[in-house]
Formats: sequence, C-alpha cells, structure tokens
Amino acid sequence: MNEDNHELGFEELAAKYPDFPRLLIRKLDAELRGVALTERALERAKEEGCLYDAAADLGQETPRPVLGGALFRDGSWVLGMEPMYLQFPNGYKRSGSLYTIDVVDGKLWLLDGDNPVEEVFFVSYPEYFGKKTSRGTPMVKVVSARLPGLLFVYLYNRCDFWAEQKPCKYCSFPTRVFRRKPGYTQEGLDDLYETMNEALKEEGKWMNIVLLAGSNLSGNSPYDNEVDEYVKVLTTLRKSFGTEKVYAKMVASAFSREQLLRLKEAGATTYQPHIEVWDEKLFEWICPGKTKYFGRQYWIDSALSAVEIFGRGYVCTQFVGGVELMQPYGFKTIDEALESTLEGAEFFASHGVGPIAIIHRLEKGTVFYAQKQKPAPLEYYVRLMKGISEIHRKYNLSVDFNNYRCHPTGDLDRLHNAAREGA
Amino acid sequence: MSKLTKEIIDLINGSESIKILATADEEGNPCTAFKDSLTVLDDGNLAFGEEFEGSQTNVNLVRSIWFNKSVELTVRDRRGTTFQIKGKPYRYVHAGPLFKKFYFAEREKRGADSELAGVWIITPEEVRNETYEIRKKEEDERHPFFRHFDRASVRKVK
Repeated sequence: MNEDNHELGFEELAAKYPDFPRLLIRKLDAELRGVALTERALERAKEEGCLYDAAADLGQETPRPVLGGALFRDGSWVLGMEPMYLQFPNGYKRSGSLYTIDVVDGKLWLLDGDNPVEEVFFVSYPEYFGKKTSRGTPMVKVVSARLPGLLFVYLYNRCDFWAEQKPCKYCSFPTRVFRRKPGYTQEGLDDLYETMNEALKEEGKWMNIVLLAGSNLSGNSPYDNEVDEYVKVLTTLRKSFGTEKVYAKMVASAFSREQLLRLKEAGATTYQPHIEVWDEKLFEWICPGKTKYFGRQYWIDSALSAVEIFGRGYVCTQFVGGVELMQPYGFKTIDEALESTLEGAEFFASHGVGPIAIIHRLEKGTVFYAQKQKPAPLEYYVRLMKGISEIHRKYNLSVDFNNYRCHPTGDLDRLHNAAREGA
Repeated sequence: MSKLTKEIIDLINGSESIKILATADEEGNPCTAFKDSLTVLDDGNLAFGEEFEGSQTNVNLVRSIWFNKSVELTVRDRRGTTFQIKGKPYRYVHAGPLFKKFYFAEREKRGADSELAGVWIITPEEVRNETYEIRKKEEDERHPFFRHFDRASVRKVK
C-alpha cells in the first residue's frame, strides 16, 4: 500500500457511502480491529450459558473459554466467524485499537473506546459440546462449530502445499487446534456419525455444514485421496440425514470432472475451489502450491466445469480480500486492487460461479504475518463487499450456501434476496 | 415505557385478531403480509415470526433495520376494534430461546417440513386507534365540512 494514502475511519466512510449500512461498516471495522470482552462481559456470557470451557476436551487444566458467538441487532456476526479458540483477539496483526464488548446499563454493547456504538447479543454454545462418543472421543473434536448455526467438519488439517513449503501466504491451516491426519478410519467415521446425530438433536439450531480439508496430492491421480476423504464424510453424513443429497458446503482443491462426478454421486450438492487472488502474477506469488499443482487456469477450469455438474449457484470461489495489496509485489492502491479482484469476481459470475470474499486477517503462523505486512484499509472492504454484491445482483446469482449467517459475503445480498429468480 | 395499553395488548394477543404488517421497498413500493404470530414481549416490544429469508417482507425489514425506516402493523378484532402501530425494527433473532419458541410453534402449526427464518422484534413508536366509530368522531370534529348532507348528524331526514 502507498503510505501516503489517508485511511478513512468509520464515520468518514459512513458519510462517503450512505447507501452502505452503517452497521455493516461497523461489522467490517470490528473484524479488522478485533474485539475483546471485558471481565463483566465474560461473566455475563457465563451466566447466559454462552461460554464453554474446552479445557477437558483438550486434556488441559488451564481454562480454554470459547464464546458461543455474538450477534449484532440485524443477526449478523460480531464474533463467531473465527475458528474455535481463536475468537479472542490475540494472534492477529490488527488495524487500530480493539473494540470491546461490555455491559452498559444492563445490556451488552460493542464499544469504540468508551462509546457504546452497537448493542450486541451472545449466542449459547451447542448442546452437544461437552459430550463424548461411545469411544470416548470429545464430540467437539469431531465436529466443531461456527456459531450460531454452522457445523464445521475439518476432514484433516494437513496440506501438501505446506509440506512442500509452498503454502498460500495468508494461510495458517496447520496451526488449527484439533490436528487430524488424512485418512478417516472406520472408528473416526463412527465418531462422526454419532456426533452429527447428537448435534442434530438440537432443533432450530443448524442451517449449514462446511467440509474443509487441506490439499492432498496423493492417490492414483493427484487429489484422488482428498476426494476419497470427502466421499467417506459425505457417505457418513448421508446416513445421518437419511437423504441422498447432503446440503453441505465443500471447500476443496481443484478437482477434475471425474473427481467431481464421484463427489456428486456421494451426495455433494455444492463445491468451492478457491481462487484466492485473481491477478495472475500475484496468484503465482501468493499461492505457490496451487501454482505448482496445477496452475491458475486449472483452478479456474475446475470451478467452471463444476457448474455443469452441480448447477449455477451451487459453485463458489473465494477471494481473500486484501492479499492483493501485500507488498512488495501487490497493488499500490485500493483502486487497482479492487479493479483486479472485481474483474475476477465478474468473470466467475458470468460463468455461473458465485464469487465470495473474506477479510484477510494477518494471523500468526502465516507467511504474511511473519513478513510484518499491513492489513488492507477499511474502505477497501466496504468497496469490495459492495462490488461483489452488485455482481451477484447483476448476474442474478445466488451464493446462499455462503449466506450471511455463515460467511461475510452474504450480508449485502440480504437486500436483493427477493429479487432473484431461479438459483 | 411501553406505547401499548392493556386494550391493545389484549387485542394483539387475541387468537382471532387479524394482524397485518406493512413494509416498503427501496422505491417505496408497499408490501403487506399477515403476521398471525404477532405477540407482545415482556419489555413492550412486538415480535413475530418470519417464515422465509427471501420474502419481500424480510428484505424490506432488513432494509428498515439498516437504514432506520419505519414499518406499520395493523391489528383488528372481529368486532372491528382496530389499531395501527408504527415502529422500527429493533432486532432480527435467528438463534436462542426466543427464536426457538417461535420455531417450535411454527412446526407445531405447520408440520415437520415447515420453516422459520427468524423472529423480528419491533419497537412501537406511535399507536393510532383506527376503530371506525372512534375515527368518525375524530373526523367529524376536525373536518365538519367533509360530511355528506345525508348523514343523520347533519340533516334530519323526514
């Protein structure tokens, strides 16, 4: 980023973009700056049954509190998108000072300094937390959650790109708490089946499942073993749901047409091979593993061919918003960065692939964090989310399996949900 | 202090009352919907279930909560007692005890494949009694020259 760029703050941006909801600017700002809970707020979370101690699950004696989540008045997230145990604002390089959540006049508020700026509400943790499978495995280690309504299945958190020292530069995948190697055993699948059944007993709770794994190059053809793992999990989920189709989102590597057909046969309804960054040179720099196996065009083609298999609106690709501004090779201005990323988003949308974006968080354990990079400014994210939502609208394209309850892209789409036809 | 009197609360909670929500889209186009589940919460706010995330009503409510726009609820009983309540969306709830209460009620009412996207909470700001007799009295006092001469209060018909 050009150091001369003046970074606009919340009020300046709210005035500059009056058609962008203030509450959503606040949400983006909170994610960039981070949110801490005061002792009073933590006490309130305990009283309301919203703070879970995962120490026993981890075999630790030190308390490991996990907040069930926190929502703004409109039902969008303040906290909860982060992977479990990373909900508290350490381990990230942030922009500006932290927001806090505190109790003010008996209500919970998000505070900017001393000023209460938005009322917030805690979410209770799921009822299956604290339970064990018949083999004694803590269920929370089998299926975690992004709350309030997303079940999260990490198939494994090994990634061959990391093994080859070619990780995506924003990625901290191997640092996730619950480490699991590739290769579900029958016992592991039984645990998954039991845990899913237990989680689903809680009615009115769940609306999304995400399946996620690192890139696994092994097998007869590259990625074949990764596909095998998804097939095992999908087959198990089919048993839990008693249906042929599994309404889960599947975040995975770039698969061939044959591999995608296998997944569909196993019950998959959606597919997400993430492009991460659009510019060709930056893709090579930021995603060296994806570049080697087997290049940007291969990842693009995989997403496009998946539309023929899963249908328009059932395939997404994600941009890690802001990585294209990392230096020394990234864009120097947010105008250039947005022009590139939105060009990519429009390309995918025009082919029936839903473009989505997340906020790039400079997380400890990533290459960019080690390089002491600087987060992209708030205005970039306001314009990115606006631009992507406008593209969804222009192409009448749903990204509902990444809706606002489980993904940051979907927020603005809430304003044109009713206008869409078909997908 | 709640804007709702006991009479209005009883009317809203009456099982035979008709309850209608009016919202507007970005261009001001109106949209009305029946909200049978409308109820009064302990804190004086109003709550109703929204079945579908993609309904025009829900989209309009999201716009209203983001841009501080008003919505209006009309409630009427079988005798014609009618109130209009203007208010602002305060919160959209899709998790927790309040949501589950509405969710289970919806499933009880409509069966195992029914859906409830969320529960809207509206803070009442203005209440008007729109019962015919009350409104007629008000209008006659304010606008006595907008009465037809056929009316008994204007002319004695032989």
